[in-house]
Amino acid sequence: MKSFSKMAYPYVVWMCIMIIMPMLMLVLYAFTVKGNDILTFQFTLENFARFFNDTIFPSVLWRSLKMAFITTGLCILIGYPTAYIFARMKPNNQAVMILLVTLPMWINVLVRTYAWRGLLGYVDFSSEMRVYVGMIYNFLPFMILEIYTSLSKIDPNLIVASHDLGADDGETFRRVILPLSLPGVVSGITLVFLPAVSSFFIPKLLGGGQYVLIGNLIEDYFITSGDWNFGSAISLIMAIIILISMYVMRKLDRGAKEAMD
Amino acid sequence: MKKLIQVKNVVKTFDKQVVLKGISLDIEENEFVTLLGPSGCGKTTLLRIIAGFLDPDEGHVIMDGEDIAKIPAYQRDVNTVFQHYALFPHLNVYENIAFGLKIKKQPKDIIDQKVRRMISLVGLEGFEKRDVTRLSGGQQQRVAIARALVNEPKVLLLDESLSALDKNLRKEMQLELKQIQKEVGITFIFVTHDQEEALTMSDKIVIMKDGEIEQIGTPTEVYNEPVNEYCARFVGDSNIIDGIMKRDRLVSFDDNDYECVDYGFSENEEVDIMLRPEDINITARNKGLLNGEVKSVLFKGIHNEVIVETSSGTSKTVIMHVTKSHDVKNEEAHETISAKSFFMDPEDVPTLTSSEVITRANAQAWTDDEEEISISKVDFHVKEEEGVYECTLATEKGTEITININVVKPALIEDKENEEIIQAFDFYRDADEIKESVALDTDLILWADAYAWNTEDDSRVEIWDVKYDFDDENITEGDYPVTFSTQGRELKIETTMHIQEGERIGLWWKPEDIHVMRKMR
Repeated sequence: MKSFSKMAYPYVVWMCIMIIMPMLMLVLYAFTVKGNDILTFQFTLENFARFFNDTIFPSVLWRSLKMAFITTGLCILIGYPTAYIFARMKPNNQAVMILLVTLPMWINVLVRTYAWRGLLGYVDFSSEMRVYVGMIYNFLPFMILEIYTSLSKIDPNLIVASHDLGADDGETFRRVILPLSLPGVVSGITLVFLPAVSSFFIPKLLGGGQYVLIGNLIEDYFITSGDWNFGSAISLIMAIIILISMYVMRKLDRGAKEAMD
Repeated sequence: MKKLIQVKNVVKTFDKQVVLKGISLDIEENEFVTLLGPSGCGKTTLLRIIAGFLDPDEGHVIMDGEDIAKIPAYQRDVNTVFQHYALFPHLNVYENIAFGLKIKKQPKDIIDQKVRRMISLVGLEGFEKRDVTRLSGGQQQRVAIARALVNEPKVLLLDESLSALDKNLRKEMQLELKQIQKEVGITFIFVTHDQEEALTMSDKIVIMKDGEIEQIGTPTEVYNEPVNEYCARFVGDSNIIDGIMKRDRLVSFDDNDYECVDYGFSENEEVDIMLRPEDINITARNKGLLNGEVKSVLFKGIHNEVIVETSSGTSKTVIMHVTKSHDVKNEEAHETISAKSFFMDPEDVPTLTSSEVITRANAQAWTDDEEEISISKVDFHVKEEEGVYECTLATEKGTEITININVVKPALIEDKENEEIIQAFDFYRDADEIKESVALDTDLILWADAYAWNTEDDSRVEIWDVKYDFDDENITEGDYPVTFSTQGRELKIETTMHIQEGERIGLWWKPEDIHVMRKMR
């Protein structure tokens, strides 16, 4: 294996240029004032103060988190029964259903979201509702796949054993199937919540400009108003929130994994 | 004792394959019952029907006088120890054992009391908080037993529960299981394919074959009095001999009559005779019931396992003509060709092909550089009657050799007693071919076209022995007899005596050591 480790070098270089450098730039922008040139920086916390002193910005952040929470919750509510039904089908049918779930992913997300814009034009939904439809549509497959995978890994003998020990179908689900599928739910949450909280094109395309989320704010400051410093500050706040939630997820996941082993 | 479970005429079919063909079985209270049989005999299916995981297509399972067909698995007074234990990986040892009681919503202190009692019964004190996946196979086994027993079932089902353990641990668990069964005093139904396990633990053994019960009995009964050849072979080591029941208490095999204690057969009924290896005793030649020659001795620790041939098989002697090699050398073409005359059966003449002639004559051709070349022309005119016919084989470049094909009717040797026929032909070979042979016995069978079959069903009988009296390393031209024979009567004997291969000895046994069985359907 050692001889192959050298093959990682190009990737390390690529990572430095394309990921680490921009991150550092982002931090630099967030803590400096507008109009610095390349040699003189004027450091400030003004950008962060501006964010938290404003009434709108924290409420947009709150709305984004709420949106991500609800999207994730609905994805679990819809995804779990779906995955459960799939896992109980005959193997051949399972393969077909999983193919059907993943099939839309072959089409670009933007194209699919545009299609939804067209479709939702026929119904009288609020902009919030439209965004939810788009979000759930987009993230549901990840949730289904994760839960399906963990459900199909459960040894069928455990279910037989549970019946043998006196548990009916309900008890068996509650005491055996559900706890054993929790790791799948946790990784499904990771895969849905994180992209949902920072999503910007779905609210933009489906919310019709009425429904602003944190992702849209960042986009506006970078592209429309050209205030990179404030945009960077919002991005950094976002990044920290995501890091915290990832940490929480990791904890939850480990808890579930320990229960699994 | 009271009948606890009655299995009545249970039939089960999977994908048009009948797995259980009408099983009827009574199981009593406090009994350790073993369902014994090879894989695919239906024993696990029967167990699953009793557990309620499968429904029978026909028949009934009655427990305590009540048909339990309509009672789902989770309401039956039956618990199972699964083959691979099926412990819940998300629960620790204590929680696994407590699972059933929690489902029954028993008070916490009662649960705790019962679980702790079980943990000490199976000897897992101190392991309560352990992760079940980090336990050894034997410990997992104990958790599985405790998890089932804590529910105080009337019947504990064990599905090949010891098969995943290594040999020593398995023996230990066998004794422990028996101990636990005595202590808790409930019925155990144990499924296994291991006859030793069945003999060690059971009160009652049920031997199954192809979805049917062959025999039900105590370990002593099934060991000493198997009902047929199948049961005799399945339980313990045995010599099974075809014989004829002359009259009550007199049985005959290999042309001799022997006293026995069995009766109730019709006169001259064909039977299977069982002699356990440990029941046959060795004595001096002509002092026993029959004589034999020691074929092999295997050291097995406490005893020696001795194979004694008491009568020879069907045999046929042929003459091997060892000739000078008469290769034909073609100086011009730088080629050499060789081939041997051979004997054949007139019956085979119509189907004789060029390539078969080449094979039978062992024809070969090669260049001066030892490179093999093919024989392209085979010229033969053989009639379907006895006689000597010339045959010419040649290569592309015209190097040729002439041999004789001797068509003769094979002298069949038929052995009426063994119901066998053996045939073989005389053959020609040169000394080098014999010296170069790597597997001479096999080659001799091939060269002589030796073949034996059963006269009853035409099935092929293996040529068991090839005897000859020449030194194959230094053989010279001349005629040598070679004898081919089928397997004779060989008896397996367990003895503590020291005995040499080739020794001629006598054998004896007591009349009650012979066990006569009806032929299987």
